[in-house]
Amino acid sequence: MSVESAVFTVLGIVAVAGGLATVFAADVSRMAIGLGAFLLAVAGFFVYWGATFLGVAQLFVYVGGVLVLMLFAIMLVHRTPDGSPRLETRHDVSAVAVAGGLFVMVVTALSGVVPDTVDHGLVTGTTELAEALLGPMLAHFEMAGVLLLVALVVVVVIMRGGDER
Amino acid sequence: MSLLVIAVGLFCIGLYGVLTRRDLVAILASIEVMLGSATLLLVGLAVAGRTVQGSEGMVEGVGLMVIVLAAAEAAVGLALVISVSRRFKTTRIDEIVKVRG
Amino acid sequence: MVLAYGWSVVALPLAIALLVGLVGRFLGRGIAYVSALAPAWVLFYGIVACFEVLSAAEKGGVLARGAAVWLPAAGDGGMAVGWAVDGLTGLMLVVVGMVALLVMVFSSGYMAGERGLPRYFATLSLFTASMSLLVLADGFLGLFIGWELVGACSYLLIGFWFTKPAAAKAAVKAFLTTRVGDIGLLLALALLWREVGDLSYAAVFGMASALPGAVLTSVSLLLLFGAVGKSAQFPLHIWLPDAMEGPTPVSALIHAATMVAAGVFLIVRIWPLYSLSATAAMVTLAIGGFTAIAAACAAAAQRDIKKVLAYSTISQLGFMFAALGAGAWEAALFHLVTHAMFKALLFLGSGSVIHGCGGVQDVYEMGGLFKRMPITGATWAVGALALAGVPPLAGFFSKDEILHGVWGVQPLWAAVLFGASLLTAFYVARTTRLAFFGTYRGAGHPHEGGPEMQLPLLVLAVGAAIFGVTGGVIAALIGGHHGDLDPGIALASAGIAIVGLLSGWFTAASASDPGPSTSTGKLIIIARGGWGGDALVNAMLVGPVTRASALLDVFVEGSLINRIAEGTGPAARRLGRGFTSLQSGDAQWYAIMSGAGAVALLALVAYLGRGF
Repeated sequence: MSVESAVFTVLGIVAVAGGLATVFAADVSRMAIGLGAFLLAVAGFFVYWGATFLGVAQLFVYVGGVLVLMLFAIMLVHRTPDGSPRLETRHDVSAVAVAGGLFVMVVTALSGVVPDTVDHGLVTGTTELAEALLGPMLAHFEMAGVLLLVALVVVVVIMRGGDER
Repeated sequence: MSLLVIAVGLFCIGLYGVLTRRDLVAILASIEVMLGSATLLLVGLAVAGRTVQGSEGMVEGVGLMVIVLAAAEAAVGLALVISVSRRFKTTRIDEIVKVRG
Repeated sequence: MVLAYGWSVVALPLAIALLVGLVGRFLGRGIAYVSALAPAWVLFYGIVACFEVLSAAEKGGVLARGAAVWLPAAGDGGMAVGWAVDGLTGLMLVVVGMVALLVMVFSSGYMAGERGLPRYFATLSLFTASMSLLVLADGFLGLFIGWELVGACSYLLIGFWFTKPAAAKAAVKAFLTTRVGDIGLLLALALLWREVGDLSYAAVFGMASALPGAVLTSVSLLLLFGAVGKSAQFPLHIWLPDAMEGPTPVSALIHAATMVAAGVFLIVRIWPLYSLSATAAMVTLAIGGFTAIAAACAAAAQRDIKKVLAYSTISQLGFMFAALGAGAWEAALFHLVTHAMFKALLFLGSGSVIHGCGGVQDVYEMGGLFKRMPITGATWAVGALALAGVPPLAGFFSKDEILHGVWGVQPLWAAVLFGASLLTAFYVARTTRLAFFGTYRGAGHPHEGGPEMQLPLLVLAVGAAIFGVTGGVIAALIGGHHGDLDPGIALASAGIAIVGLLSGWFTAASASDPGPSTSTGKLIIIARGGWGGDALVNAMLVGPVTRASALLDVFVEGSLINRIAEGTGPAARRLGRGFTSLQSGDAQWYAIMSGAGAVALLALVAYLGRGF
């Protein structure tokens, strides 16, 4: 097995394991760790494929931001006297059926599209990204900024709302 | 092909979590998994050469947009969760959500 | 001329039945006179027909006919129901018309003050119409319609006092028993339809000699079965004694003179066909002979004056059937006519007695009525002697002819019939003495009825007396032959009648039964019950059917049907609850449902498009 495919395999295993842990873990901390692993693996994929900027952004924003945020929320929310609570699930069978069905459908639908081997990395690099962001994707770029601003305001409002009303 | 399986599989795993988990935070975590896997698929396809003509340069940009979106959504969502937990003293979905028909 | 209006014999009584049924309430006492127009017309028509036949150049031919196409059946034209008048038709119309007329007149006195008189007279008129149709029809289909209709009228009239449980039961029993016989009739019709293709008499008789023997015998036996039911012969005799629950005038008309005679009429009517089967003849003779003597025994054991007459009717009909079986069809018809006279007379006489004694029917509670009801007594005596076969009354001549005919064919059965005649005289004398002579043992005040009740008795008494001479006329009407009296047989039958009368008379000295411990007493009890006919039917039919129904009730009704009926409610509720659980308010469940829907849609698109 070549190095590339070994890397790919490892990243894939880590991602899947993380995803499963996120979904199945009964313990909050395990879930958080699983999520972290997943996000790291995705970042690894991006880097492996040559989308370096994206991989780094993923790392900073997701792992460093979203995950940490989630940990903070967990700590703020789960206040029970008897330690971290068990996370339970329900509607297991039906959900499996739906998720499984969707999996089958989409895979069969897209199987004709995806080639069997990925022989080359990403063609473009950071330069092209910058040109795209300030070019065709300028509107998206600006909207993203607005979105973040709005989100900020909304969060402040929500967090303050309970006290005043 | 294995990319497809992994990405779509992760998406479905996340979907399972959204449909199944009882804790609000867990649901949000599952949503993150779904988003991440979708981005993975997107970028992976671009790497394999499957992009719309002339948009090769935008792949990373789109991925960046998704990340921004996810961040915003996570922030707002977690704010809501904290607010809800203050109100109902719990984060279990079956004790909170009751959509009356 | 008159004869051209053949349908009027059916239509007029029918119309009068409708009229009386609808507005009879407002007619008051005139209801009987309006209704009497129906049989009066039938009688008139019959007399004219007889005269025409007798004076026609060729004897025994059909005088007039008309047709009405009815059922458009497969093939050509359809099933036609028409009418035809010949000597036999005319004779029967005379009998029916006359007895019906006298019964209606009698009823205006006997049934005065009863509730439901419009229903009574309307049904009597309907019966007249049906009986006319029966004798007038030119084919088996019309016969069958009339046959069923008289059965229905019999049911309605036996159950006239339908609030009385015994009457209601008797009506049903009569209808069902004759219905059993009617199955044979229907099967015979089906067989004829298949073999001949046409149900008119002309067609069937024309083809009769060409049909294979098996078909002839089967048709004859099946028709015999129908006749057995209608004429209360063994084994379908059980309904007639119970039919006495109906008003006595009804018993006189239907269960003595006309409807029960329809069986005999049927066989006489189909004689060109019937006479071709030797097997049928044998069976008919056996049934007739056996019934004659068994019923005579039963009659001898009865206490109820109407039941005596009922069993007597069964016995006399047995005589007629025996005559038919022996080939003496003219004798059978002759006896039918004379029997109609004196049996109707006896029934109406018993009606007068019952009416006079205040509803009592048990002869042990009568006695000495001759002094108090002389007209009834005298006319009863005439009828009784006619029944016993004492010359020169009518019954002697017709019975003698039967005996003569049977003796010529099967002396053994003739001996049986002689025995039955002996018993007939016996029970006649016994009943007469118990009811009319001696001292009155009852608690009422016996008195004569009004003129409406006495007049019919007188008319019938005259008929019973003089109709003995009509033998030749009757034979001529139907194209048969009439021989002279055989002195040997005549002497024997007269002698037997005397012996029977005397022994019956002396047995009636005491108005009581021998004790149940004596063998005679036991025999009497059995005979009084009609020789266990009812018990037989109960064991063979009623019992198994009841048990089977009980079983079905438990297994099918209880488990299956009840579960289905009672289960639908809870099932509907469970279904509803299942549906409500879909709207639980659980957002994740909704998401699952949407997801499932999405997957299903994808699958559908994939299937339809075979790929994206």
